[in-house]
Amino acid sequence: MEIETVPSESKPESNPLPPKPKFEPLKAHEMSDGRVQFRKVSVPPHRYSPLKKYWMDIYTPVYEQMKIDIRMNLKARKVELKTRQDTPDISNLQKCADFVQAFMLGFDVPDAIALLRLDELYVESFEIKDVKTLRGEHLSRAIGRLSGKGGKTKFAIENSTKTRIVIADTKIHILGSFANIKIARDSLCSLILGSPAGKVYSKLRQVSARLAERF
Amino acid sequence: MIPSAMVSSTETALESLHHIKSTEPPEWLVPKQELSQAVRAASKLLFSSLKPYCPKSPFDQLLTEGFDVEQIWQQIDLQSQPLLSSLRREVKKFEKHPEEISKLKDGGVGGGEKKKKVLEQIETDNVVNDDEDDDDMDMDEDDDDEEEEDEEGEEEEKERGTEEESENEGEEKGGIEDKFLKIKELQEYLEEDEAREFGLKKKKTKAESKKEEEDTEEEGDDDDEDENEGSEDDDDEAEEEEDELGLFDGNDEEDEDDLENARYEDFFSRKKNKSSKEKAKSRDMLEEDSGSDDEQDVDKRKDGPSKHEKELDKLRSKIEEMEKANLDPKVWTMRGEVTAAQRQKNSALEVDLDFEHNVRPAPVITEEVTASLEDLIKTRISEGLFDDVQKARTSSSKAPREIKELDESKSKKGLAEVYEEEFVQKTDPASALLTFSDELKKEASMLFKKLCLKLDALSHFHFTPKPVVEDMSIQTNVPALAMEEIAPMAVSDAAMLAPEEVFSGKGDIKEEAELTKAERKRRRANKKRKFKAEAAKRMGKKA
Repeated sequence: MEIETVPSESKPESNPLPPKPKFEPLKAHEMSDGRVQFRKVSVPPHRYSPLKKYWMDIYTPVYEQMKIDIRMNLKARKVELKTRQDTPDISNLQKCADFVQAFMLGFDVPDAIALLRLDELYVESFEIKDVKTLRGEHLSRAIGRLSGKGGKTKFAIENSTKTRIVIADTKIHILGSFANIKIARDSLCSLILGSPAGKVYSKLRQVSARLAERF
Repeated sequence: MIPSAMVSSTETALESLHHIKSTEPPEWLVPKQELSQAVRAASKLLFSSLKPYCPKSPFDQLLTEGFDVEQIWQQIDLQSQPLLSSLRREVKKFEKHPEEISKLKDGGVGGGEKKKKVLEQIETDNVVNDDEDDDDMDMDEDDDDEEEEDEEGEEEEKERGTEEESENEGEEKGGIEDKFLKIKELQEYLEEDEAREFGLKKKKTKAESKKEEEDTEEEGDDDDEDENEGSEDDDDEAEEEEDELGLFDGNDEEDEDDLENARYEDFFSRKKNKSSKEKAKSRDMLEEDSGSDDEQDVDKRKDGPSKHEKELDKLRSKIEEMEKANLDPKVWTMRGEVTAAQRQKNSALEVDLDFEHNVRPAPVITEEVTASLEDLIKTRISEGLFDDVQKARTSSSKAPREIKELDESKSKKGLAEVYEEEFVQKTDPASALLTFSDELKKEASMLFKKLCLKLDALSHFHFTPKPVVEDMSIQTNVPALAMEEIAPMAVSDAAMLAPEEVFSGKGDIKEEAELTKAERKRRRANKKRKFKAEAAKRMGKKA
């Protein structure tokens, strides 16, 4: 980073104030003193084959549009991301990292792509035991309640609240905007606590109607 | 004082007495100087004449000049009080020992003669005699009329009483005579009352009968009526009293004592534990002045209760009944709100209760009623006029609200696309894409078109169908319902593709389990041959 030193202000009577310096915005590459920035996302074993399957779908937007270098470290089982010189924005790296992380959590690529495109999307994760301590059969039944028959309850929540939900054993991940995440989380929590699906549906209907009315 | 002067004073006093006696009663109403002077002189005389019989009197003579009426009275009182008590003692003594009376009688024959004179006088009313006794008797009558100077009248009566006693002790026992108390009368009445109550008849001695005769005759002083009747019935009374006296001898003394210690309560209170004698006494006291009724009643009760008596009894019993009814707790019917616990068992059945019925009484079913009902039914059936319930159509004023259906299938769009659409909708409402309901509408319109085509084919003679547009679409082997319905409620096993489309095979397809040993061997042999052939080929290639 070049900083034009301002000549000393020791001659007030003769010289007027020197012009203000103009700095161009820093490039992503130049941040942190010109060094390259890395991000590393570990790949869980169950996402290994899906990663292989969808690699090109992941790689293309990251490299082409975000202008971030991406590679898979097979030995370490990690996806590495690196800034390039022509990376426009430093936040791109973070976005790409979030995108890859979302994929690793279990989200589909078209859903995870939304992270790249929109700023206000977040991923929230919590466990079933955070809501209520369940053991054995109760836990299994709770998970079944969450998904519903053929996943219809989960889809119902997703469609009404415009979120994406991943139920991985006892972990639950929600991808969406902040308010929508809240609604989805409330529905999921009520399901965990034992309310029947019909009750959740009615609440969802009300909420979605309200959301639709807003616009 | 000089005796001669005393003698002259006595004469003047006597004159004054005469004067007093001769004055008409109305003249006493107006205070006159000469009358008072005369009375004072007379009382002075009487006082001094009584002096020898009275041991304790402090005065030698009554001092009247310059003294107030009250003071004069006090002096007289001072003299007479101890005199009275001494007289009472004498009377008691005579009661205990009646024989002494006869002694006295014998001793005082002159007194007896005097007594006869007295009797004569009694029979002839208000005859004026120069005899002192007569004067005294008359004075009694005069004194009764007196209204003004009561104390002197009383005092004179007392003195007269005492004089009589001193002269005729045997005759007059009840010396304590005043307007309220006559002991002889009292005694007789008590005995009569007891005779009535107990119904005893006994004999009596001559002496007592004589005494009683005298008593009754003396009572006649006040009541002339008594005397006329009394002589006939006295004997009977006396006989009754004789018995009682025999029984209740001891009580006479008690009577005297009670009389001495008589109190207000005895006469004028209504205590229930009073003895019959006390009741009689009270009655006697109350009816003192009109004591004739007692005599009359007593006489008539012996025959049987009179009409008046009967009426009085009836009234009394009625009054008692009513009082009792008022005091007792009311009958349950008059008590206001009464629950079953507060009245006797089955007591409500006996009373004729009257209350409002809110329900119409059930109709009595008779043959006529049933006949009329049946006729009505027949007419209704023939007319077809049934009272069927018509369903009330609720007129909906507003259109039914659009219910947003929850999509329960996996969304086909990615999240990014969803947000993209949302963004586009916000920014550019014109480019609104098809919503879920619109898709439904599209589908519905498609179905209707097909239906119309079929109907046209059926109805037109010359029907030319529209050109079929070949639409290539991949049929996936998915349950049929899943494709046709967006929200499948039930899962159906019916598949879109026919079995031959799913599998195109030749020959006899056998399951693993169905294969015979020979066939299994053959299969393995074929596999080996193929493998060998490929291996040879590869070797050939390499080489």
